Amino acid sequence: MRTSLNEIKLIEGYILNSNPPEEALLFEAMRILNPDLPEQVMWQKKTHAIVKQYSRKKLRAEIEVVHQRLFDETEHKSFRQRILNIFR
Amino acid sequence: MAHDSNFGTTLTDREKAFIALYKSAFPAVAKYVNKKAGTFDDAKDIFQDALIIYYEKAVSGTLVLHTNEQAYLLGISKHLWAKKFRENLKQTPLDDIELDFVNEDDLQPAAGKLMHYLETAGQKCMEILKAFYYDNLPVNRITELFGYSGVRSATVQKYKCMEKVRETIKEKSLAYEDFIE
Repeated sequence: MRTSLNEIKLIEGYILNSNPPEEALLFEAMRILNPDLPEQVMWQKKTHAIVKQYSRKKLRAEIEVVHQRLFDETEHKSFRQRILNIFR
Repeated sequence: MAHDSNFGTTLTDREKAFIALYKSAFPAVAKYVNKKAGTFDDAKDIFQDALIIYYEKAVSGTLVLHTNEQAYLLGISKHLWAKKFRENLKQTPLDDIELDFVNEDDLQPAAGKLMHYLETAGQKCMEILKAFYYDNLPVNRITELFGYSGVRSATVQKYKCMEKVRETIKEKSLAYEDFIE
């Protein structure tokens, strides 16, 4: 794996707190050698946050499809009726 | 790590699981919301947020069920309802439910140019990162699902995508004013 990908791997281990001891040491060494590291860590954390946001949006869309199916398809008529009766 | 959750690893698996959860747990949530003078749409919104929370806990292996999933989903829904209407949380019995991580702001749908860009131009990488970090799928399953030659190549691809998306976010963040966080 090229150097930049190894850096990403070490940063990931640092963010997710999953680096084994020897990689944690490598990360510390990298911290000394690479003054841009804090910035890279920050952007990588942001990336994790955005992946989560993206994924939630996708999941929400999947759940909405399920909702539409349950409230449209005749197969689920009795369920639909049961719910609509609650709000009558 | 995930995998023993009932959500499986594919869209079809998740759909089946969500239909089952809807059927088993939504009626009680609907009754509760109706009792609180909420509408059908209120019940739907709250229940869907509760499902997202439930999913995230289940796939990250942090779900601790002291009762059954119906009671758990009702508990989260009551909590979300209380938050929504600034009721006194102490009125809601939450003793046996872990809701520490619930943050309603986090559950707002994503918006903005950056997200749009990532959903279109960056979709392939976003799907890979989602599979690893959000769905928490095992790497051998990801290798199969995305058609990689092996676990190693899937892992390398994860880091390549992290690098690519990270650089995109950095670049676009400086260019788009609507991207604040």
